[in-house]
Amino acid sequence: MSRILIAGSDSLILPECRLFLEDRGFTIQHCANLPGALAQVLEDPPDLLITEKGFSGKNGDIELIRAVKACLQKANIPIFLIADETQLQVELDWNNYPVDDIIIRPFTPEVLLTRIRLAESRMIRAFDNNPLSRLPGNTSIIRAIQRVLCEVEGYAVCYVDIDNFKPYNDRYGFTRGDEVILMVARVMVNAVDELARKGSFVGHIGGDDFVFIVREEMLEKVCKKILANFDLVRNMFLSAEDIAVGEFIGLDRQDRETRFGLLSLSLAVVITGDGRYTHYGEVSSVASQLKHCVKKLDGSNYMIERRDI
Amino acid sequence: MDEQKRAQFKKVLREIKNLPTLPGIVAKLAKMAENPDTTTEQMGRLISKDHILASKLLKLVNSAFYGFPQRISSLNSAIILLGFNVIKSLIISASIFDVMEEQDVELWEHSLGCAVVSNVLARHLGVKDPEEISTAGLIHDLGKVAIKMELPKEYAMITELSQEKKISRLEAEREILGLDHAEVGSWLAKSWNLPNKLVEPIACHHDPQLAKEERVASAIVHFANIMIRGLGYGHAGDIWVPPLNNKAWKLLDLAPADIDPLLHEIEEKLWDVKGFSLDVQSVPEEAA
Repeated sequence: MSRILIAGSDSLILPECRLFLEDRGFTIQHCANLPGALAQVLEDPPDLLITEKGFSGKNGDIELIRAVKACLQKANIPIFLIADETQLQVELDWNNYPVDDIIIRPFTPEVLLTRIRLAESRMIRAFDNNPLSRLPGNTSIIRAIQRVLCEVEGYAVCYVDIDNFKPYNDRYGFTRGDEVILMVARVMVNAVDELARKGSFVGHIGGDDFVFIVREEMLEKVCKKILANFDLVRNMFLSAEDIAVGEFIGLDRQDRETRFGLLSLSLAVVITGDGRYTHYGEVSSVASQLKHCVKKLDGSNYMIERRDI
Repeated sequence: MDEQKRAQFKKVLREIKNLPTLPGIVAKLAKMAENPDTTTEQMGRLISKDHILASKLLKLVNSAFYGFPQRISSLNSAIILLGFNVIKSLIISASIFDVMEEQDVELWEHSLGCAVVSNVLARHLGVKDPEEISTAGLIHDLGKVAIKMELPKEYAMITELSQEKKISRLEAEREILGLDHAEVGSWLAKSWNLPNKLVEPIACHHDPQLAKEERVASAIVHFANIMIRGLGYGHAGDIWVPPLNNKAWKLLDLAPADIDPLLHEIEEKLWDVKGFSLDVQSVPEEAA
C-alpha cells in the first residue's frame, strides 16, 4: 500500500504530514475537486483513498466513496474519512458512507501512519481469510508451503479432510455442516497452538479441506492429538440414533442409497525439507494421491509420505 | 406475591454479567497458566471442579462467536474447542469474591460434592453421558450465587426467614422473591445458550417430575443433591435435606441394596474432593 490519493482541500493533509509519509516511501497524489479525483480513481486507482467530510461541495464525498466501492476491482481500496468533531454532531449514516476508517481533526502524522498500517494488515487478513473459519485461505497457504520448502529443516505439510462430509450435510443440513467445519478448525488450531506453535501454520483451503504445517518432529504428536480430540467432540454433532447405529444411510454422488460411516478425519502428510520438493504444486499432488489411500481406511487416520532424498 | 416485584427481581437477575468464585481456585489456575508445561487438559480438569468457572466455560463455547450455540454440554469438549489461550483469558477475566464468606466455600463444596454423586449415580445406572450429568450436578445451584450477588438484601432476608420459620431456603426464596434459585439458574443457563441437557436438570432439581426431555438426568441430579446433603459434605444454605420425589425415585429404579455400595464409592471419591478443597482454600493467603 504505497500510493495514496488525497481528495480534499489543500489543507486536508498538512505539509509536515505529507513529508512524513513521503519519507516512509509513500507516493502522495492530491485532487482538490470531485471530477479530478474520480478520474484518478478510474484511470490509475490508488492503494488508499483519503477524503474529507464535505469534499467538493454538496455530497461530493459520498459520490466519490460510492464510485470507488461500486467498482468491483476497486472495492478493496480502503477509504479514510477525515472529519471535524463538530461534524459528528449529526450522526452519520454509515450505510451512506461505506468508509473503512474515520480520523478526527486535528491528528498527528503518526496517527495517520498508524491507521494506514492497520488498514494494510486488516486488508490482508480480510482478503484471504475464510469467512466461516476466519483461517487464512489459499494465497497464504501457498506462501506458507513455499516458505517451508526453502527451509533446511524438515516440515510436515498436512492436508486434512472430513470424511463423509457431503452425506452429513445432506442429512443434517448446511448449518450443522458449518458447525462441523468450525469444530474441525478449532480442534486443529488448538492442537497445533498448544503442541507446536513455533514455525507452524493452519489454513483453510475451502469447504471441508484444511492444511496445517508443523515441524517434522512434532508431527505425530499433533496428528494423534487432533484425531483424539476430534473423536471426543464429534458425538456432539451427531444424533443419538446415528451414534447408536454407528453409520447412516444417505445418497452417494450417483444418487444411490449408500451406508456412510460417521464423521471422521483423514490426514495426508507430506514431509518437506532438504530440497525434496521445490514447488508447492508437487506437494499438493503427492498429498492428493496419499489422500486416496487414507480415505479408504475406516475411521480417522493419518498417513505420512517421506520421499527419499 | 406481587407480580411487579417478581418481574423486577427477574430483570435484575437476568442482567447478571459476572459471577464470582473462590480466589484460591483462580490463583491456582493463574499459576498453572503461566507454566509452559501446563496442558489444556490439566487446566480443564481444575476448571471442572468449580461450578462458576465451569459454567463460564460452557457459556463461552456456546456463544454465537464460536458458532456452536446450544451444542456443547461436555466440559471436555468445551476445553478442546476453546483451546489454551482462550481458557487463559477466561481465567484472567474471572472475578472472585471480594469478601469470601464461610457459606461461599460451603456452597462450592456442596456443588462439587453433588457433581461427584451425580457421576457415581450416572455410571451405576449406565447412562450414556455420565460426564454431562455430573456437569449438571456441578452447576445446579448457580442460581443461589446469582441471588446472593444481585439481591444481597433479599438474600439476607431469605436466610433469616428460613432460620426463623425453620423452612428450607427454597421455600423462603419463593416467599420473599416469588421465585427460586432453580428457576434463576435455569434462566441463566438458557440465556447463555447452554443445551437443554444442562438447563432442565438445573430447572428441575427440586421438582424432577416437571422435566420433559431430560427426565433421567433431572432425577439423578435431584437424588444426588439429596444424598450429598444427607452426607453432610458442603452446605447449601439451610439445615434441611430436601424431600425425595417419588416419581424420580421410581425412575431411577434403585434398590435399597444398591445404596450401600454406592455410598461406599461416593465416600471414597469425596476423600479426594475434600483434600482438594482444603488445598484450594489454603492458596488465597499466599496469592493475596
